[in-house]
Amino acid sequence: MTAETLVAATARPRRAPTGRLLASELRWMLRRPRTLIGLGLLALVPVLAGIGLSIATGDGSGPAGEGLAAIIGGNGLLLPIFVLFLSLPLLLPLLSAVWAADGLAGETANGTLRGLLVAPVGRARLLAVKAFGVAALSFVAVVVVTVVGLITGLITLGGGGMISLSGTTLSLGDSLARIGLVMLLVTFQTWAVGAVALAISACTEHPLVVVSSVLAGLITFQVFSLFSALDWLQPFLLTSAWDPLANVISDPIPWQPLWESTGLAACYLLIGLSLALWRVTTKDS
Amino acid sequence: MTTSTSARAGVGPARAGSTPAPALAARTRGLRKTYGSTVAVDNVDLDLPEGAVLGMLGPNGSGKTTTIRMLLGLVRPTRGEVELLGHALPDGAGHALPHVGALVEGPGFHPFLSGRENLRRAAAFEPLLASGSIRGAVEDALERVGLSPAAHRRYRGYSLGMKQRLGLASALLVPRRLIVLDEPTNGLDPAGTREIRRVIAELHAAGSTVLVSSHLLSEIEATCTHVAVLHRGTVVAQGELAELLRSGSQALMITTPDVEEGLNVLRASRISARPAEDGLRVELTGTSAPDVLRALVGAGVAVHEATRPHTGLEDLFARLTEDDGPDRGAEIDVAFEAEEELR
Repeated sequence: MTAETLVAATARPRRAPTGRLLASELRWMLRRPRTLIGLGLLALVPVLAGIGLSIATGDGSGPAGEGLAAIIGGNGLLLPIFVLFLSLPLLLPLLSAVWAADGLAGETANGTLRGLLVAPVGRARLLAVKAFGVAALSFVAVVVVTVVGLITGLITLGGGGMISLSGTTLSLGDSLARIGLVMLLVTFQTWAVGAVALAISACTEHPLVVVSSVLAGLITFQVFSLFSALDWLQPFLLTSAWDPLANVISDPIPWQPLWESTGLAACYLLIGLSLALWRVTTKDS
Repeated sequence: MTTSTSARAGVGPARAGSTPAPALAARTRGLRKTYGSTVAVDNVDLDLPEGAVLGMLGPNGSGKTTTIRMLLGLVRPTRGEVELLGHALPDGAGHALPHVGALVEGPGFHPFLSGRENLRRAAAFEPLLASGSIRGAVEDALERVGLSPAAHRRYRGYSLGMKQRLGLASALLVPRRLIVLDEPTNGLDPAGTREIRRVIAELHAAGSTVLVSSHLLSEIEATCTHVAVLHRGTVVAQGELAELLRSGSQALMITTPDVEEGLNVLRASRISARPAEDGLRVELTGTSAPDVLRALVGAGVAVHEATRPHTGLEDLFARLTEDDGPDRGAEIDVAFEAEEELR
C-alpha cells in the first residue's frame, strides 16, 4: 500500500493518448452540420467566381477588373489564388471564428466542457486540442477553396501557364508552387484570427459573442485603414497585412512584404493563444 | 464531531501505519468560495469516508453544487483545501480525477450526435480507457443504464430521463473509485428513480464511494449511509445517517416498571422527564444520556432499556435548515458526543 501510494504520487498521471484526443476533436467538428454546410457554401465561391469571370472575359469586352481580375482571362491557374484573396477578408476568418466559438464557448454553454475537464484532460492540453481543431479545419477550408478553384479555373477559364502580375508567363510547376505558397500564407493569416477568436471564446459562454466580436474587429480594422489620420495604426492592423500577399504572383517574388505580413500574423497568433491559455487555466468552469 | 475526528486520523501519512483507520475518499478543510461580494460556500469541512454513500442535502442555493465543483477541481476555492482520493487539488487532479466519475449540473452532451457517439467522445478523453476497449466500455455503460435500444438516436430527441441516464452512463465508463452525482434523479419518473437507486446500490456493493446530492429527502434516506447537510453555504451536520437520525431527537426513552420513582429521582437531579408508554421520556436538554442513566441506576431504578427515538430525515432537515438558530450545528455535535458516551 505504502509503496504503491508513493509510486502513484511520484509517477506522471496517466493521460489519454494525444492522437486519440485530436482525432476525436476532428471527428466531432466534422460531424457538425454547420461545419459541413459552411465548407459546402465556401466551395460555391470559386465556382461562382469562375463562371462569373469566364462570362465577363469571354465576350471580348476586355479585362474583368483591376489587378488580379485584369489578367485572369484565359488564365485558369490564377483562379484559386484570386478566390483565396477574395475569401481572406471575411469568409475564412468568419469560419475560423465559428469553430473557435464552438470549441470553448459553445462547449461551455452545452455543459460538455465540464465533462472533458473532469475526465480529466489538463486545461492547457484542452486548449491545445481546441487550437488544433480550429487550425486543422481552417486549413481544410483553404484546401477546399483551392482545389475547387483550380478545377473550376481550368474548366471555365482554360489552362496553360500562369501569367504573373509582372507580365511574365510562369511554368506549370512554378504556378503550382505559388498556389501552394498562397495556401500556406492565407492559412497562417486565418490561424491568427482563429487564435484571437479562441481567446474571446475562453472568456464567454456565448458563441455568438465570439463571432460578432471577430466580425466587428475585422470591419473596424478595415474602416480604420481608410482614414489617413490613422495611418500610424496601419502597421499594427492584421487586415493591412493581407493586401501585400498579392505579391506572391509578381515575378520575381518580393519576399520582404510577405515576411512582414506573416510576422504580424505571428504576433496576433502568439498574443491570442497566450490570452486564451491564461484564461482557460484560471477560470472557473 | 466524533466521526470526523476518528476519520481525520486516517488521512495522509497515517495511511502508511499498520492500523487500518477509515480512509477518506474526499476531504475539504475551511473551504470558501466567493463570487464578488456573494459568499457561495464558507468554512466547509466535508469528510467523505471511503466506501460510503454520502448524501449531500440542502435547500436550493445552499452551496451543494459549488462544493461539488470545487471537489472536482472545476472551481478554484477562494480559500481552503481539497483532497481527492489522497491527492491535493488542483495539482493532483491528473492523478485523482481518472478514478472519479461525475454527473454535475445535469448531463451535457451534443444534440447533433447520437447517444452512442456522445459517449464515444467522452470515452476518448478518459485516461484509463485503452483505445481498443472504448467500444466495449461504451456498450457496457449504455447497457447498464438501460439505454442500449435508444443509443443510435440523436441526443436532441432524448427525453429528460434519457438524458439523465446518458449522463450516468458517462460517469460509469470506467470502474471508478468515486462517483459524484449531482441531482441524479432530476426529471426521472419513479421507475427511473428506482433504477438510479439500484445503480447506486451496485456501486456501493462493489466498494465504490458515492457522493450524491439531492433535495429529495426520501431519496437520500433510501440510498445513503452518510449524510451531510448544507445550509447557507456551510455544513451544519454530517455523519452516519443512522446516527444523525438518532441524535436528531433530543429525548431518551427509558423502559422501566418504576415510573414514579424514576420521575422523582430525575426531578431531584433537575432533569425534565414525563411518563410515557412503558416508562419515561427524558428530555436531554442540559444533560446527557449517561448522566440520566447513572442517576436512575444509582438510585436503584430498574432500567430495562434506553433508546433514542428515531426521527425522520425530514424532521431533522427542517430543524437544521429552517430554524436559523446560530448553534444548530453545535447542538448536533453535542448530541453526537452523548451518543458516543452512551455506547
